[in-house]
Amino acid sequence: MGVSWGRFDTRTLVLMPIAIAINIVLGQTIASVLKIPIYLDSIGTVLVGVLAGPIPGLVTGLLSNVLWTYVVPPPFHNDFAAPFAITASFIGFYSGLVAQLGFMRSRPNADWVHVILAAIVVLLVLGAIGFYGFIPFYAGSDFTFFNPSAQADTLFTIVAYVIAILVIGSIIGLIGLLIVRRDLGVAFVAVAGLVCGIFSAIISAPIAAGVFGGVTGSGTDFLVAAFQQAGSDLQTAVLKQGLLSDPIDKTVTFFIVFVLLQTLSRRFIARFPQGEKAVSLEAA
Amino acid sequence: MNPLTKAVIATVGSIGAFVLGGYIGPIAISVVMLLAASAAGVARALLRASLLLSLPIAISVVLVSVFTRPGTTVLFTIGPFDATVEGVDFAAQTLVRLLAISLSIGLFILTTEARAFVFDLERRGVPPRFTFVALATIEAVPTLVERAATIAESQRARGLDTEGSVRARLRGLLPLVGPAVITSLTDVEERSLALESRAFSRPGRRHLLWSMPDSAGERVLRAVLVLALAAAVVARVAGLSLPVVG
Repeated sequence: MGVSWGRFDTRTLVLMPIAIAINIVLGQTIASVLKIPIYLDSIGTVLVGVLAGPIPGLVTGLLSNVLWTYVVPPPFHNDFAAPFAITASFIGFYSGLVAQLGFMRSRPNADWVHVILAAIVVLLVLGAIGFYGFIPFYAGSDFTFFNPSAQADTLFTIVAYVIAILVIGSIIGLIGLLIVRRDLGVAFVAVAGLVCGIFSAIISAPIAAGVFGGVTGSGTDFLVAAFQQAGSDLQTAVLKQGLLSDPIDKTVTFFIVFVLLQTLSRRFIARFPQGEKAVSLEAA
Repeated sequence: MNPLTKAVIATVGSIGAFVLGGYIGPIAISVVMLLAASAAGVARALLRASLLLSLPIAISVVLVSVFTRPGTTVLFTIGPFDATVEGVDFAAQTLVRLLAISLSIGLFILTTEARAFVFDLERRGVPPRFTFVALATIEAVPTLVERAATIAESQRARGLDTEGSVRARLRGLLPLVGPAVITSLTDVEERSLALESRAFSRPGRRHLLWSMPDSAGERVLRAVLVLALAAAVVARVAGLSLPVVG
């Protein structure tokens, strides 16, 4: 069975605008209100990639960032998203492939040996991310969750809370699902997210450094500043920042999509070109 | 003016600012964009929008570059941070570049009806399926926000606390976000059936009764702009130092 690149049927084409809207609303909120080192602007992209295949995922990622800059009116408009369309396309393509390989499948009620193995994998992934990324960041003492300089638009504040919940919830959820439902899928999702994060960091770094002098006006800039102060040159500082932020971001993103897939009805999922393969309805 | 011409101007302007680098190129682009904007009567709106949008990123650029970029000539020191001439220079270059990008794209956004742009693309042969996605996205963002508001109200009617303490609000989030996302997704079902029943996926092209004017002059302008950009890229890659590269 060869690799399928996905199809653009009517259902996929209707899903794409909604996915793009989710990307933009969440991404814009992160960029303008929160001071955390992640973006969460690819949940919709990953969703399309998983349900419809690599090429639709790629197109969704590309269109998200291009439309974000060229078409969507304020307050959800961002002048600086378009160059990162390359990264977004990669994320969509990658998630389509990974889903085809079965990384997004739920594998509940595994035996305990496997659960323990999976727990070790998850803890390694989370531990590596946490040790490497979050601890140095939060140890900067005067860390505050909300960006004080942001204009306190109530809409954004609400979405900001949503994001806080999503991030904290997915970390708890990863561990919770593993123990309560003995769901091995969690380990696969964590690995898929981590790998995606590493690649997208490598792709984004030259863009961020070349076009924006290493900053994007969001919470990640503090990391860049910290690395530069510690003696890295701009390219390296941006890459280091990406290697911290992106794996966290993509692991959370993949996990949210994973939970979303569990929540949606199977009938709904199975009607997408790649839906059945992605969640493997027969096996479940 | 044809929307495609405006899009080409915006793209060439923003990529050009990046390719040229230095000070003179981006500043020249910014001036051209502002002149064009004042010709269109939107100069003040454009300047306001661009400055507002670039402000957060500009603050970051200044903080990050001025204080942490390694350099030899120290201007002044605050705590452990040295402000260097090199840092200031780099920050200023980044700022003019960002301003040029922001002005180019802002001008396009302010003077172009998104719908007209997308329809014009379709007339030029972009598959209708992709123009559908672009148009539906414009609709989807406000729809999503509106849907969220409706759900918030109905959950409040059921006694959900959305205004109390931070903890109470956090607890109230799941009943808001869950339905908003899930209903958006299940809507896909209904909408795709509706589209199918209206021959959405039939082959062939739509005949658009409406078309945007497109003069020969504009075609030439577009070709010249694209060629100029290509020339700048080639020159930059070849390492030639143009007079405009500061």
